[in-house]
This record gives sequence, structure tokens and C-alpha cells, in this order.
Amino acid sequence: MFCDIPNTLSWFSLSLVVIMVMKSAVEDDDAGWGLGIPEKMKNNANWVDITHEFKGACKELNLGELLHDKLFGLFEAMSAIEMMDPKMDAGMIGNQVNRKVLNFEQAIKEGAIKVKDLSLPELIGIIDTCFCCLITWLEGHSLAQTVFTCLYVHNPDLIEEPALKAFALGILKVCDIAREKVNKAAVFEEEDFQAMTYGFKMANNVTDLRVTGMLKDVEDELQRKVKSTRSRQGEQRDPEVELEHQQCLALFNRIKFTRLLLTALIAFTKKETSSVSEAQKLVAQAADLLSAIHSSIQHGIQSQNDTTKGDHPIMMGFEPLVNQRLLPPTFPRYAKIIKREDMVAYFSKLIERIKTVCDVINTTNLHGILDFFCEFSEQSPCVLSRSLLQTTFLIDNKKVFGTHLMQDMIKDALRYFVSPPVLSYKCCLFNNHQAKDYIDSFVTHCSRPFCSLIQIHGHNRARQRDKLGHILEEFATLQDEAEKVDAALHSLLMKLEPQRQHLACLGTWILYHNLRIMIQYLLSGFELELYSMHEYYYIYWYLSEFLYAWLMSTLSRADSSQMAEERILEEQLKGRSSKKTKKKKKVRPLSKEITMSQAYQNMCAGMYKTMVALDMDGKVRKPQFELDSEQVRYEHRFAPFNSVVTPPPVHYIQFKEMSDLKKYNPPPGSADLYMAASKHFQQAKLILENVPSPDPEVNRILKVAKPNIVVMKLLAGGHKKETKVLPEFDFSAHKYFPVVKII
Amino acid sequence: MQLLVFVNCKQQVYKECYLSVHTQEQPEVSSSSQARQKLEGLLNKNMRIRMTDGRTLVGLFLCTDRDCNVILGSAQEFLKSTDTFSQGEPRVLGLAMIPGHHVVSIEVEADSLDDTQGFGGNH
Repeated sequence: MFCDIPNTLSWFSLSLVVIMVMKSAVEDDDAGWGLGIPEKMKNNANWVDITHEFKGACKELNLGELLHDKLFGLFEAMSAIEMMDPKMDAGMIGNQVNRKVLNFEQAIKEGAIKVKDLSLPELIGIIDTCFCCLITWLEGHSLAQTVFTCLYVHNPDLIEEPALKAFALGILKVCDIAREKVNKAAVFEEEDFQAMTYGFKMANNVTDLRVTGMLKDVEDELQRKVKSTRSRQGEQRDPEVELEHQQCLALFNRIKFTRLLLTALIAFTKKETSSVSEAQKLVAQAADLLSAIHSSIQHGIQSQNDTTKGDHPIMMGFEPLVNQRLLPPTFPRYAKIIKREDMVAYFSKLIERIKTVCDVINTTNLHGILDFFCEFSEQSPCVLSRSLLQTTFLIDNKKVFGTHLMQDMIKDALRYFVSPPVLSYKCCLFNNHQAKDYIDSFVTHCSRPFCSLIQIHGHNRARQRDKLGHILEEFATLQDEAEKVDAALHSLLMKLEPQRQHLACLGTWILYHNLRIMIQYLLSGFELELYSMHEYYYIYWYLSEFLYAWLMSTLSRADSSQMAEERILEEQLKGRSSKKTKKKKKVRPLSKEITMSQAYQNMCAGMYKTMVALDMDGKVRKPQFELDSEQVRYEHRFAPFNSVVTPPPVHYIQFKEMSDLKKYNPPPGSADLYMAASKHFQQAKLILENVPSPDPEVNRILKVAKPNIVVMKLLAGGHKKETKVLPEFDFSAHKYFPVVKII
Repeated sequence: MQLLVFVNCKQQVYKECYLSVHTQEQPEVSSSSQARQKLEGLLNKNMRIRMTDGRTLVGLFLCTDRDCNVILGSAQEFLKSTDTFSQGEPRVLGLAMIPGHHVVSIEVEADSLDDTQGFGGNH
């Protein structure tokens, strides 16, 4: 049984085992957690009390000494859960309350819970609390501690009140579809989402259509009531009728919201692209109800306890401890249920995110899609919206948006990026079957790594970094293949059309992606606050001197390859017809990206020189390297790049040689470096200010570049040279580049 | 991320403990070695520990220290008393550490005591 495993394995494996158990429980929900009591426990064994002797013997042990079996060491001890620690001991909380914990059937029998004739405030209160539980679940807590603390959803069949029954079924369906989507997209880790259902029934015996129908019926009924209680002109308003009107309206809005949310999620399960825009419309309608829901929160019954600190609300229909015994033996997270006041705000953000997700279908180019995923991920979206994006992109892991083959998307991306002759309709290679074989097999090999790359951008930010490091290996293999295919196509082309070339086309494209991944890997370390101040200088050096330099040369090679192809096309056109070709100068497709890379490179170079100069002035705190050295840290930071062949990794010794200031004559002092840094920031500012139609990212970088220009000039002039106070790095304006502050 | 942080701080504790264990592991004779022997005799025996909040844990005795912190393996949690099974099924905890100051009583299974010298005999 799995409960023996923790003795010999570490925490990691323990959690792994638990995850495995969870996963298997997902597949086999009915298995439950009944692990049975060992035979020995059942027949009353003779227990002998040894409390006194045991405690006495323990006192004889030395301080810090552990008495343990040879096979059990401190490493194993680490993975034990600590009893009586509320953070780890789920059983503790359950044992400290004095009320009787009843399940749904028991509660009905004891009359502790109503299943019919619920008042409007009761219904509103229950629904609002359920919404809060739903959100808490979506934020990574277990179903048992959130949605299933509501007794009504345990068995909606027992509910006689139609509105509540329809709502309970609706919320179960929402959970079920959300769970299915998140599971399918597989972009979650245990810190994002708990997929386990603990054997609860998720309204599987009722169809989606039936549930939406029931919700609609309730909605219509409520709408009649809302209309009948509406104030008429000239009529004396009875405050009681007015209150009823308000409450009916509040309930109506909540039921309608549930229905729209559910229908939108159902639309996402369909395979047609049109259903995505349908979902977008539905969530937009749902969003319109939110302000009305927010203003009617006070109509619902409130919980009996103080929930301001995130304690689970205690009210009719909810029993936070009903599932306490189902919780797995890992230390549980204490589920802080989100407050009702925050519920509406969360929903409106969630809906905004879902609306954004729906926009992805308007992007056609693979590079555009990749950028879309990157940008979306930068907002650190929730697991549901991330999963919806994934499942919208690759429907059932076969076709992009359900219509395009991934291979075709890749070919389009190649055409857009380098215009390789082999994919040009006007080239003889296009219909050459051997060339076709080469390119088709290459593109097929590309599709899996690119799908993984897109999937990686669906993970949470911290996990992304780790996964980016790993995918570089796959891209290194692709790089190798791309170069070989390029060479083969080139020799083929030389025979057929000697005036054309097929040099480093596919290779350039893969290299471009390689570099993007490497840059993102390094930059995300700033966002995740992984680097110490004394490490900044080599990270920024690597970016500016190496990766961005490579990226720019790659982009310009792609650009010239595009131009060469265009020239050939033009000549062919001219040859056939005497029509005047348009002389209008086209905007190069890659120009924006080249400009941005220049700006980034200047920002990194500026930061690098700043860090070196600050170090010269003794303003960078360095650790006392006892167990490691700068080299160890450096090698650790760039370790994933070792699997990449092009660009070759820069080893520490090389870095030290390349960045040695002594090779300049005379070697620059700190003032020279500050001045140089200031120039780099100035250069970045110039480049960015000339960007036509600047996006928010341009403005964010400018917000860093401008103050840094000034600060560097001041430092170059000897401002506060003597101060011992360390400078501050403020990353609030931009994730990757700080504003340097001298105090 | 919670988990990683948790593991990290546990590792820190582990490092410290490790150092202290290794500096203090000089062999000692006298009464303390007798006590040590007694405790070693109990290792891997089924143990039942009552905690201050009334719950009882049953599991294999794996580890203890001077403050009577006890680690049980394959532990199961019983509410209130193990005598009545009316409280329902036990909950499986796996590896559990009970802090010494929460230990109310310690019992060991009698038939597993047969091959143990010293303990239980004088009780």
C-alpha cells in the first residue's frame, strides 16, 4: 500500500506518489479512499502503556540526537507531516469544533437543512457562497474543501426547490467541464489545480442540455415574478413588494449568470471555430450581469461566523468539515474561501481573460500565435483561461483551431519568416518530389516541438522557465536537421536553377526560435527574482553581447533572404509582362522585431556596464564564496544552454576573457562605464521613440530608460561616490530592466 | 510553490540536525546507553499514541529524540478512542511526526513486545 512508501522516499517522491494516487483517483473515481483497516487493528490487540518509561528513556538521549532505525534517517524524517500543526494536520481542525458534522442525508433527516420552500435571501446567500467556493477551487484548492462543502451539490436529486436544484446541477456541470478542460490541456501543476473529485458525482446522469434547460425554466419563472412585482405608474409602492422585486431580480441574475457561464463552457467543448466566438458572446452577456450581482450581495443571508480572514463561511447548506476525512495524507492547504465582495471582481477578470482567449482564433500566423501565447501568459492568467486557450488552439491535439494542420502552419511561418525557395510556388523545387519529401519530413518533425513550445507558454510562469530550459534540447536536434535539409535542398537547387540559393533558410528559422527561447529563459529569471544583484552583470552581458547580437544577425539574414526571394519574383514578373511593378517601398515584415531587438540589446548593455561600474565603486554586495564560486553560479545559470550547438555556449573562462576590461588601453574607470551605460540607455530611448504606433511594451521600456540616462550621468559625474549605501533596483516599471536608484 | 518552499525549509532543518547529530555521536556508556537500548528495542513496533486533542495515531515507531517527538510510519488516525470503531474508518496519514508536548500516552502492542526486553515487563 502506498502508505508505506514515504518511509523510504523523500518528500518529492511522496508528493509524486500522492499525485499518482490523485491521478488514478481521477480515472477511477469510485475507488475512493477506503484503504481498509489492517486485520490487527480490528481484533483488540493488547496494548501496553509505556508512556512513563518511554518518556524517561527519551530524556537520556542527547540534545539533537535522533534515535532511529538504520534504514530510517533524517532524510526520511523530513517527509513526515507534523501533527497538531494547523498547516499540515487536516485532522486537527475537524477535531476542534464542537458541532456535529452532518452529511447531506443526515442533515435533511435532522432538519438542519431545507430542501424546499427556501426563502429568497437563503437562495441568494447559498448561491453566492457557492460562487465563492467555485472561485477558490479554480485558484488551486481541492474540490472537497471548496465546492463540495456545499451539501446541496452532494446529491441534487434530493433537492425539491427547483431553483436550487437547477443551480446545484449547473455548478456541478461548470466544475465538470472546467475540470475536463484543465485535464485535457495539461498545463497545470499541483500548485495550480486539484483535479481530484473524491468520488463525487458531477451530475453525469443529466445531460448538459437538460441542465441549461432547467436553468432557463427557472429563469423564465423568476422573470415573471420580477415583472409582476415591478412598480407601476401612479401606484403606491409597498416596501415589501419592492424588496421582493429586488430579491427576485437578484436571484434571476444569478441563475442567468450560471446558465451563461455554463453555456459558454459547453461552447468551448465543441469542435467548430464558430463556437468560440459564440462563447465570447455568451461570456460578454454574463459580464453584463456582474454589476447587478455585486449590488445585490447584501440580499443574501450571511454566514454565522466572521469570514473576513478567509475562514470558511458557516451557514445553512454548508459544512466545511464534511469532507475532512477524505483529504489525502499530504499536508492540506488551508482553503481560504474568497470573500463575496471579491467574487464579482474575480468573475469579471475571469471573463475578461476568457474573452481574450477567444481572440486567438483571429491570429493566423504561427509566429503571431506564439506571440499571443507569450503576451497572454505575461498577465499570469488563471489555470482555467490558460487551459481554454490551449484547447482552443489545438482541438483534440490534431488541428490548429480545428481546421489547419500544424504542418501547414509551420510552412506558412517559414514562408513569412525566410521565404525559402522550396516553399515558393515559383521555384522548381516546389514541385520536385524529392525536395517535397525533405521539406515535408522536416516540417513534420517540427510540429511536435512547436506544439510543446506553445504548451509550455500555458504553464504558470515559474514552471515555464524550467520547461524552456528542457525544450532547448529538442530544438538543438531540429537545428541539426534543418542544416542538413538546407544543404540537401541547396545542392538540389544548384542543379536545377543555378542562379538561386538555398542556404541556411530553415536553419535561420530554427535558430531564431532557439534564440528566443534562450532569451526568454534568461529574462524570466529577473521576473521570478532568481538572480542576486552580483549576478546581474553576467546575465546582462550574455544577453547583450551574445544572444541579442545573434538574434539581430539572424533576423537580418532572414530579412535579406526574403528580399532575395522578392527580387527573383519581381524579375520573373518583369520577364513575363511589361507591367510596371510597384515601386512603393514596402515595410519590411521583420523590421519591427529588428528594432525592438536593438532596443533590448541597448538596455542590456546599459545594465551590464552599470553593474560593472557599480562593482568597481564597491556598491555591489558579494557573497563570501565558501562552498561555491562565481564560476559555479555562472555555470548553473547557463547550464541549459549546454545542449545547444548553435549558438555555442559561452563558458565562464571565455566570458572572463571576453569581458576583461584590461584589454582596453587605458582600461576604463567607473565614470567611463557609467557614461557608456548612459549612452546605451540614450540609444534605446532614441530607437523606441521612433517606433511607429508604440505598444505598451515600448512605453514600459522607456519608463526605465529615461530615469537611467539621468542617474548614469549623475554617477559618471561622481554623485554620491563615497556613499556606502547600496543602490536599489526597482523592477516595478519593467519586469526585466530595473530603474537604478541611488540613495 | 508552497511545496517547494516547504521542502527547502525542511532541508535547512535537516542540514542543521545533521551537523548536530554528527558532532554528538560519541559513544557513551552508563544509564543513557541502557535507555537507548530500550528505545531501540521498540523500533518498528506497532505503537499507539494518544495526542492532547484526543485523537489517537497507530503506526510503526520509527524515530524519536530527547523531546519525545515521535515519528510513526504508515500511521492511521482514529478520532477519540480506538476502542469504538463507531467513529468510522481511520484516516491514512502515512509518515507522521507527533511533537513531544502533544503526546499524552504511548502504548505498544503486547504481542510485539515479547521479543523486547525491559519494556512493559515492569508495568
